[in-house]
Amino acid sequence: MASIAVDDVSKHFISRAHADRLPVLQNISFTGGNGQFICLLGRSGCGKSTLLSLISGLDEEFNGKINFDGVTVAERQNAGVRLGFVFQSPRLLPWKTVRDNLLFVLRRSGLQDWRERADLWLERVGLKDFAKAYPHELSGGMQQRVSLARAFAVDPDILLMDEPFSGLDEFTGRAMRTELLDLWQQTGKTVLFVTHNCFEACFLANRVIVLGGQPGRIVWDAPIDLDHPRDYEDPDLFRLSVKLTHVVMESAA
Amino acid sequence: MGGSVLEYPPVVMRRLIGGLNKIVLPGISLVVLCGLWEVAALILGARYLPGPVPTAARLAELFATDQVFSNLAPTILRVLGGFAVAEVLGVIVGVIMGLSRSWEKFLELGVMVGLTIPSLCYIILCFLWFGLNELAAIVAIGLTTFPIIAINVWSGVKSIDSQLNDMAWTFGISRRERIFKVIAPQITPYIVAAARYGFGVAWKVTIFVELMGLTNGVGFQLNYSFQIFDMTSVFAWTLLFTIVMLVLELAVFKPTEQWLFRWRPEVRA
Repeated sequence: MASIAVDDVSKHFISRAHADRLPVLQNISFTGGNGQFICLLGRSGCGKSTLLSLISGLDEEFNGKINFDGVTVAERQNAGVRLGFVFQSPRLLPWKTVRDNLLFVLRRSGLQDWRERADLWLERVGLKDFAKAYPHELSGGMQQRVSLARAFAVDPDILLMDEPFSGLDEFTGRAMRTELLDLWQQTGKTVLFVTHNCFEACFLANRVIVLGGQPGRIVWDAPIDLDHPRDYEDPDLFRLSVKLTHVVMESAA
Repeated sequence: MGGSVLEYPPVVMRRLIGGLNKIVLPGISLVVLCGLWEVAALILGARYLPGPVPTAARLAELFATDQVFSNLAPTILRVLGGFAVAEVLGVIVGVIMGLSRSWEKFLELGVMVGLTIPSLCYIILCFLWFGLNELAAIVAIGLTTFPIIAINVWSGVKSIDSQLNDMAWTFGISRRERIFKVIAPQITPYIVAAARYGFGVAWKVTIFVELMGLTNGVGFQLNYSFQIFDMTSVFAWTLLFTIVMLVLELAVFKPTEQWLFRWRPEVRA
């Protein structure tokens, strides 16, 4: 199981509006691993999604270091470090069936039992009967569930999630969060979960990192010591969420 | 109970209605079109506008005297030849331009110039370069059609978003596989649409090429009928041409498209 080390990472965008460059992230450092569930929390524009794309390697232009157990982010594909990614939208290939969507990424995962894993994970997210359906035949929530299955199925060293439930209605979102926590506890994966929803962060995470300011910095980094399984109606959860909301609001300036 | 039957017609009923819509509506449209044609012919007189009946009769004569086959076959071969040249070139250029900024800048002007030059110029030039032969015809048809296909494919490729590609990348899918399994399927609809459009253009240019410098083909026959002011034959050849186009559309293009895009949701208005 891999850990992740983000060391003094800064990032700027070249922008026409700003004479030379627009800084978006400044001196971000943290480490995670051992099956932690870390939420990166902040308002839109704080650079949290940008940080996730730096960690995934999609964006390679930044200062600082990002390592997975000593493997740099640039080398991670060659070194066989696997990431699972759940995006804000499901990003399924619309011309492939649900099962083929999973097989598409599993085939290249280097896993011995890749065929079985597709069926196993479809069953785990409750979509066994929809294996042969095309994505457009599923509801938004079901599509995101396929996306979740895809990310878990490749047996990732780290799971990255970029506001995966923000496009769902509250009830579907609640069900999916509970499901995600179950899967996380079963697999013991390290999760890095980006969100702007304080309540969601408190409900899911056992550690919350708040990004704030312009450019984005870490303004808060603390564990969430609530027992699992968690309860939506828990007053402690609510109090914590209110506290975090204030942290995020004060970080704005 | 009575209301529910109306609200939820059983599947068989719906299929029946769907089938009727597919056959009956185009049928009615055809009858109306012929009716309008007949009325116009009656008003203007056969000298200016032969009606559907004499036109069909002339077409039958053309079939009987083997003129249809000896002229339609070379025309179709020219269309296919020119179209094949244009499709291959157009798809290559369009895809390259859509995927690479530098190639786009480099090729854009050329394609635009190619699009601006009237087809007549290509035809004359090709006849001058290659002589009055099939090669000239195919090159001229290809040159005229190619920029249209290139531009359609180019704008299509440009419009595909990088989200799926990024997804595949994060899951460690190789560049080669991303090109063939993620990008190519997204480009296919644009290639098919461009082909359809380009095919229509190729037909029209072919007629023109035959009229300008060849001694057989539908275009040549049209011109010949025009020279001797045989209005009924002009209509008969045009009708033949239209029928062939419709058959190709219904027998080739539509089924191909339906098969290629069977994964797509049905659009219901």
